[in-house]
Amino acid sequence: MSAGRNERDITVTDETLHAYVDGQLDAATRAEVDAWLASRPERAAEIARWQRQNAALKTLYDPVAAEPVPPRLDPHRIAAAAAPARWDWTRLAAAAVVLVGIAGGAGWVLRTATWQEAPASDRLIDGAVAAHALYVKESRHAVEVGADDKGHLVTWLSNRLGRAIDAPDLAAQGFTLVGGRLLPPLAETGTGPAAQLMYQSPTADRLTVYITAAGKPVGKPFETYTEDGLEAYYWANAQITCTVVGDLPQKQMQPVAKAVYEQLTWRPDPPARS
Amino acid sequence: MSDFLDEVEAAVPALRRYARALTRDVDRADDLVQDTLERAIRKRALWRPTGPLQAWLFRMLLNIYRNDLRGQRRRGDHLALDAMGIEPSTPAAQPGHLALAEVGRALGQLPDEQREALLLVVIEGTSYADAAGILGIPAGTLMSRLGRARAALRGLTGAGDEPRLRTVK
Repeated sequence: MSAGRNERDITVTDETLHAYVDGQLDAATRAEVDAWLASRPERAAEIARWQRQNAALKTLYDPVAAEPVPPRLDPHRIAAAAAPARWDWTRLAAAAVVLVGIAGGAGWVLRTATWQEAPASDRLIDGAVAAHALYVKESRHAVEVGADDKGHLVTWLSNRLGRAIDAPDLAAQGFTLVGGRLLPPLAETGTGPAAQLMYQSPTADRLTVYITAAGKPVGKPFETYTEDGLEAYYWANAQITCTVVGDLPQKQMQPVAKAVYEQLTWRPDPPARS
Repeated sequence: MSDFLDEVEAAVPALRRYARALTRDVDRADDLVQDTLERAIRKRALWRPTGPLQAWLFRMLLNIYRNDLRGQRRRGDHLALDAMGIEPSTPAAQPGHLALAEVGRALGQLPDEQREALLLVVIEGTSYADAAGILGIPAGTLMSRLGRARAALRGLTGAGDEPRLRTVK
């Protein structure tokens, strides 16, 4: 501050004192506070106490940063581990049809070696991911029909898809239905229009479930691929195809995907449409 | 890609330190850091961080920490000073220092929002502006949390009255 100002005129706020203790003042202001404290022993004692607190906290925790980092916290290793991984619900998968979890960032390129026989699934996943990315960012227009009109939503989408679908209940996984919308058919999939259901957690994490009527059958042993980016879990049976999309941790996505799968697909005989 | 991972790797020691101070539990802290790293690596493709990577990582860590806390409360939050190898009888490093164990214990009794703020500033040396950004609060709120945290620590460490202060170990 200006040299002409008397020390006693300085206004030292609590904020300045905190900044003093936390080393966030420039040298000139710091010197002024030193001088100000010199004539105020009771404030000086308090500041000294804050400094001792800081010193104690640093003594306790500074050494942590010097500890060797365990291998599980190596980002390179974590990124590499996001490579092919097996789901733990092979039991369901074996009994069912095709069940694939994939995830990818910008590319959404499925490994062709795995999916040469099922290009339609590739496009469906692409479509599901694109629709997810487009609508989860919407606040007021996230869905066409809200969950408060769930009966209508389900009837409408079932009619348009030509399949009796229901909105899975994901309350146990911490997600509530926001609503849904109808999306146009994707080229060369033979699946007709798609229904997108959106769910949201209390922390505003969103995931979408993308459902179409089944197209041409796909017959492929169950495989799972995980890469960084969004997670997408796709499967198809004789009735429908379903893709669950979200960017939540795998350990959160898997139970959700499993619940959706069980509720939508795990039926020997889906009820005829009404 | 590997540039990103290298940058993340450089932030790991600071993330561990902050997580350890937040949780006072070695395993919980490293679990928290691991969750943060996994999420950061997964989210990188979709949401490119616009600010400094480290602040982005700290924000993410805090979000996960706060979510985890909801589950944690049911089990009760146990202090894990033992896991840090700090005995209550650990002598003060220098005369005039508060006993470390006492401070560690007091830290655990602070409200979460005060602990988050205090540690970000004190342990990580984060500027007030950056800390407010990471915590998602206005600067004034940060200052009042710091003030309350320091006052609470003082009460909790028994260093409440002036004359005893100089003899507190």
